[in-house]
Amino acid sequence: MSEQWFERDPLWFKRAVFYEVHIRGFFDGNDDGAGDFRGLIEKLDYLQWLGVDCIWLLPMYPSPLRDGGYDIADFFGIHPDYGTVDNFKEFVEQAHQRGIRVIADLVMNHTSADHPWFQESRTDPTGPRGDWYVWADTDEAYKDARVIFVDTEPSNWTFDPVRGQYYWHRFFSHQPDLNYDNPDVQEAMLNVLRFWLDLGIDGFRLDAVPYLYEREGTNGENLSETHEYLRRVRAEVDARYPDRVLLAEANQWPADVVQYFGDGDECHMAFHFPVMPRMFMAARREDAAPIYEILDSTPAIPGNCQWGLFLRNHDELTLEMVTDDERDYMYAEYAKDPRMKLNLGIRRRLAPLLDGSRDDIELLHAIMFSLPGSPVLYYGDEIAMGDNVYLGDRDGVRTPMQWTGDRNAGFSRADWAQLYLQPLMDPVYGYQAVNVEAQLRSPTSFLRWLHRFIALRKEHPVFGLGTYEPLGSDNPRIFAHIRRWEEDVILCVHNLARSAQPVQLDLSRYAGMVPEEMFGRTSFPPIGELPYLLTLAPRGFFWFRLRQQA
Amino acid sequence: MIDESELIEHVKHQRWYGAKSRDVAHAQVVDSVALRTADPQYALALAELRYDTGAHDIYQLLFPEEETFGVARELVSAMRSGLTLQGDEGIVEFRPVQGFAGLGRELIDARDVGAEQSNTSVVFDDELILKVFRRLEPGINPELEVLRFLTEHDFPNIAALGGWYSYSGGPLAATLGILQEYVRGGLDGWELALDELAEDPERFLSRLHRLGEVTGEMHRVLASDQSDPAFCPETPSVEALGLLTATVDEEIERVFLALPDDDENVSPIAGRGEEVRDLLRQMTHAGAAGQFIRTHGDYHLGQTMWAGDDWVILDFEGEPARSLAERRRKRSALRDVAGMLRSFAYAASAVSLLRGTDPPENWEEQARARFLEGYVDTVDPSLLPAGHAAIDRLLSVFELEKAVYELQYELDNRPEWVGIPVRGIQRLLEETNTPA
Repeated sequence: MSEQWFERDPLWFKRAVFYEVHIRGFFDGNDDGAGDFRGLIEKLDYLQWLGVDCIWLLPMYPSPLRDGGYDIADFFGIHPDYGTVDNFKEFVEQAHQRGIRVIADLVMNHTSADHPWFQESRTDPTGPRGDWYVWADTDEAYKDARVIFVDTEPSNWTFDPVRGQYYWHRFFSHQPDLNYDNPDVQEAMLNVLRFWLDLGIDGFRLDAVPYLYEREGTNGENLSETHEYLRRVRAEVDARYPDRVLLAEANQWPADVVQYFGDGDECHMAFHFPVMPRMFMAARREDAAPIYEILDSTPAIPGNCQWGLFLRNHDELTLEMVTDDERDYMYAEYAKDPRMKLNLGIRRRLAPLLDGSRDDIELLHAIMFSLPGSPVLYYGDEIAMGDNVYLGDRDGVRTPMQWTGDRNAGFSRADWAQLYLQPLMDPVYGYQAVNVEAQLRSPTSFLRWLHRFIALRKEHPVFGLGTYEPLGSDNPRIFAHIRRWEEDVILCVHNLARSAQPVQLDLSRYAGMVPEEMFGRTSFPPIGELPYLLTLAPRGFFWFRLRQQA
Repeated sequence: MIDESELIEHVKHQRWYGAKSRDVAHAQVVDSVALRTADPQYALALAELRYDTGAHDIYQLLFPEEETFGVARELVSAMRSGLTLQGDEGIVEFRPVQGFAGLGRELIDARDVGAEQSNTSVVFDDELILKVFRRLEPGINPELEVLRFLTEHDFPNIAALGGWYSYSGGPLAATLGILQEYVRGGLDGWELALDELAEDPERFLSRLHRLGEVTGEMHRVLASDQSDPAFCPETPSVEALGLLTATVDEEIERVFLALPDDDENVSPIAGRGEEVRDLLRQMTHAGAAGQFIRTHGDYHLGQTMWAGDDWVILDFEGEPARSLAERRRKRSALRDVAGMLRSFAYAASAVSLLRGTDPPENWEEQARARFLEGYVDTVDPSLLPAGHAAIDRLLSVFELEKAVYELQYELDNRPEWVGIPVRGIQRLLEETNTPA
């Protein structure tokens, strides 16, 4: 008997809390030293308790793993380390029964060089897949397209000695770009989407979508042909698969990113990349301006769309969407050791970025949770896990989830040496100090705080659905704003300073209403015509629900 | 069509409407089907209510609500015929249980069952009982799921399932109601406890060994099918005890934060929230939790009936205030046991409050001992943690969870009953503070 475990809810993603899982690093269900779907199923009760609405899976497909699985060698399978397609189906069913949805990473732009399509294309240029990739006799074309992985790639073209031609790749040279000018490629990728949607998946995080097409004289990003194809994908999803979500990864400026929403007919969600580094910048400078400014320059989006908000994820803290000055500032403040830099970014987890300061971690979560958008948490950050900057590439932020203080951090029963990566062991962030088990039992732990915080946010759909109205004040260290949805009016006030701060807010349009603090439900003095005075602790924040006076 | 404000008023005045403290901002019918087109016309509708925060619930409405018995007859007859009715957005399927004899006969007398809150039940001829679920959630209702399972696995101490009806369509898929055998002449376990406590306390005690056995057998059956993923027992994950601790701890914190200062019934535990939380930490510091299985979910004397020669277990819906996903979760069987133990404490106090007689000294202790003896003799020991100490400790955790939940409930609804959970919490505090 197939059950439907959700109400019809085409906007569910607007109220959802997302949780990004690195399957390899989450829990090892078969004792081989790497996480898998069986392990993930065992931890669903934990994620349900935490309040997660939707799990985002990092790439789960067969892959040579030269780019964390973003180099897909078979779009229709599951990497054997993670299990089988049946394990995946079981996982989705188990998640659904707990009210949790599942989306997965999907790379549309390119494949692994190991993919049979590419092998066929390079060995049989005149065959049916001969032009499924972008081939050229020289490396002269599309010079205006920037190289993204500046640390490893000298060019977007690489010579293939087998075919005797150059192939185009916007990322690593082992990841040739698919040729979307070929209608067969367009259809083949739609088939990939249909395959997983038919298995019950609730959507995709579309990796690297801006780069699907190449055109001479352009930078090859955000081209109209790319948008046209995304509209086609969306139409297919809307017609056959209700309540699914397409989440675009487009690391671009807000004005460019909003194009991925189209008129509500492309992607349902897109990450708001530029706001993320500005939250860190604001905290460092003790100045709310960077947050106000980036939100002011963020265009309105269609009502059926939503921003994805995050503090940290599986990639480096990307600094592509900041000015050069801002980037220098961020490097100086947050990447004191050059090892911490990667490409145009900083490869660190949340807690070490903030020097482990609990106040700072809570403040940034409060700001993120208060903004219009759906928060996306990164596994391990809910226990303020650390990183290992001595590991290569992005492995430093992909170490095993720290479940207990026992052997292998409770992540695996395999031999220590067999683990895909060893869990952290340093005295501050090591698994004996930082783990789920200990934090569950300590009422004052960050995990327990975040759990209550998620529950609070979910009681108020306004955070996902409501309007955002910035609220200026006489104090530049204060980030304050109003969220409104139906009859719910929420006032959020955050102190970015390391010192206590007073602030006077003009709330006269809410005169007569009573601010009720949302955690303790304490009523504050009613709002009058005069400026409303609040005093905030260092890095402190208040969320109030404005209620009509009884 | 009924307009929005009429619909809101209509729903708000229904006895089963649960969110009385919330302000309804919007209401709309999301689907409806006609049950009877000739006069008198009957219909069934799904209505969405949106609250002022933007959250919403979906309720099942019967039209007209004043003629519940007439509508209920129509629902039973649709089950008998196995009808499928088409709505605008989905279908309502009515299904009989094959071989259920009670469906063959004509329905004559109908009556309601009195003290209900979240559902609507109608009893026909003391033979059948129809239960209509009002607040709907997507997925199969555990009442139907568990009853069907227990029926298929030949657990005798239930009232047999006769049929059900459910909706599936665009808005959601949900169980709308079930039809069950009515235990004729059965005595409600709670009423029986009070009556016998007042008249012949030993008599009731003598029934409890058997209740323990039936409970143990129920758990054995619920854990008996490895091939059904919804029921097969699970080994709890390492953090299962931690999740339980965290959940109960937050409940304690919430309830104690809001504890009134001036209620003398509360004074034995007032200001002792931290002590209670310490106690919880002590009890959950280490130890195994046994297997996790599907349980009754809301087990107390009011969910049992004495049917002349044996106990019958009723109402597998789980605690109505919890979400369906939570109610379907596998848990330790001891959670049910703790619920029943708390029920004995309630009976011992309620007999003074309601019948004006005090129970004999140590009645509650004896009730607990007899019930547990029957339970432990019968239950599959592999479902429980190993050893008496571990069982007692886990039982205390669940009793604490239950008592804290009761405390909140009584403070909100029945202030004169507050003393019962207060004594329960006090007892747990003192038991653990007194060296053995």
